[in-house]
Amino acid sequence: MKKIWALLLAAILAFSFAGCGTEKETKQDTDDNTKNETETTEFKVGFDAEYPPYGYMDDDGSYTGFDLELAAAVCDYWDWEIKYVPIDWDSKDNELSSGMIDCIWSGFTINGREDDYTWSDPYVENSQVVVVAEDSGIDDLSGLADKVVAVQADSAALSLLQDEEGQKELADTFKELREFGDYNTAFAELLAGTVDAVAMDIGVAKYQLQSRGEGYKMLDEYLNEEQYGIGFRKGDTELRDSVQEAIDSLKKDGTFDQLAEKYDIADLVISE
Amino acid sequence: MSFMTMLQVMGNGMLKSIGIFLWTLLLSLPLGLVIAVIRQKKLPVITQIIKIYISLMRGTPLMLQLLVVFFGPFYLFKIRLSDGYRFIAVLIAFVLNYAAYFAEIYRSGIESMPIGQYEAATVLGYSKSQTFLKIILPQVIKRIFPALTNEVITLVKDTSLAFSIAYVEMFTVAKQIAAKETTMLPFVIAGVFYYVFNFLVAFLSEWIEKKMNYYR
Repeated sequence: MKKIWALLLAAILAFSFAGCGTEKETKQDTDDNTKNETETTEFKVGFDAEYPPYGYMDDDGSYTGFDLELAAAVCDYWDWEIKYVPIDWDSKDNELSSGMIDCIWSGFTINGREDDYTWSDPYVENSQVVVVAEDSGIDDLSGLADKVVAVQADSAALSLLQDEEGQKELADTFKELREFGDYNTAFAELLAGTVDAVAMDIGVAKYQLQSRGEGYKMLDEYLNEEQYGIGFRKGDTELRDSVQEAIDSLKKDGTFDQLAEKYDIADLVISE
Repeated sequence: MSFMTMLQVMGNGMLKSIGIFLWTLLLSLPLGLVIAVIRQKKLPVITQIIKIYISLMRGTPLMLQLLVVFFGPFYLFKIRLSDGYRFIAVLIAFVLNYAAYFAEIYRSGIESMPIGQYEAATVLGYSKSQTFLKIILPQVIKRIFPALTNEVITLVKDTSLAFSIAYVEMFTVAKQIAAKETTMLPFVIAGVFYYVFNFLVAFLSEWIEKKMNYYR
């Protein structure tokens, strides 16, 4: 009995370090290759894994999404090795500046962050929208007065609602602007009635409404128009230019549009 | 995603949580003891340093400590780190944090031992290290065991903090599946996983406690 326990514990201990070990080995292998043959670069894509349809966990437990497949296609173009790094959204700037990731590619809104990153060309035309319960009686933005509105922490919707030149005036009419961590919590609160509305990106809203079915509606009146880009470390124009070149070529050969079709956002992407 | 795949993917995540748990225990239990013993010696400077260390570890959130250990080397010394450092950083932060709590639990046990036992041991010709290892420590471990179990169970639940530095353990997987499937089911499964694991921990600790009860 004791021996079985000891063996089991040893196996798990070994398992948890095994990942690190093999990683180092493969790295050495690629180092050797670098000397002998061609150069293999590792491209580390930082993304929020709770952000369908742009980046999320697929049915089989691997990571997928429009942004991730596009990133993989870029890596194919340059023969890079792709590494998906699901990050804690609140720590994205730390991850990027410390070099743990090479870019933030996760339905990342350019507007309001223009000077904080080196940006790719915008590739998705996005809007911030408001979702309410179907029977709430709220039909337009003015109906949100004296209501509790939820918005994801550190999101574009939040900065829009706090921006003097954005929708702060509207936000001031709310009873409260409440921040939450993930959309599941926000929708649960919407259903429970503890919040009256949730502000989010249109692509996310469409996914949520389609997946959750009845009971919700999206207001026809949008909060704004904005664009997604890929955020690189400030000054990292070399990498940005390489990725941009690959994306331009993917747009020409149709791969880009195919991916957009696949993830049901063809009406949002910027193909030209 | 089918229920079976969900269980399987979260099971893989659970192995990572258990990995953090086991490594932290393996390293912080001895480290805590060493700290407690050194503190007991009342060396002027070192005792102060240990006191400050314990006070910092208990006085700041573990999540903040994780961020400092992980991003600190870059922001303070401009050292570029590889992705493999994530797990190492998780371990460093967890071990330092838990060793501080364990050290205090050990201290409570050591200080509860009556001075008469030390005197008796000296009369019987035991050396200082013999006294500690053969007479004091076995009794200390018996006395502090319930308090240790408390802390160990807290550790199981604290493993979910590892995602603040993007180490994907079981609870993170649950959140990701929940986001994709737009359902709360993964959280129910996560709750069951944690409960079953802690049930095992509590069961094991009760069993050990009984084994140690050889004088009653």
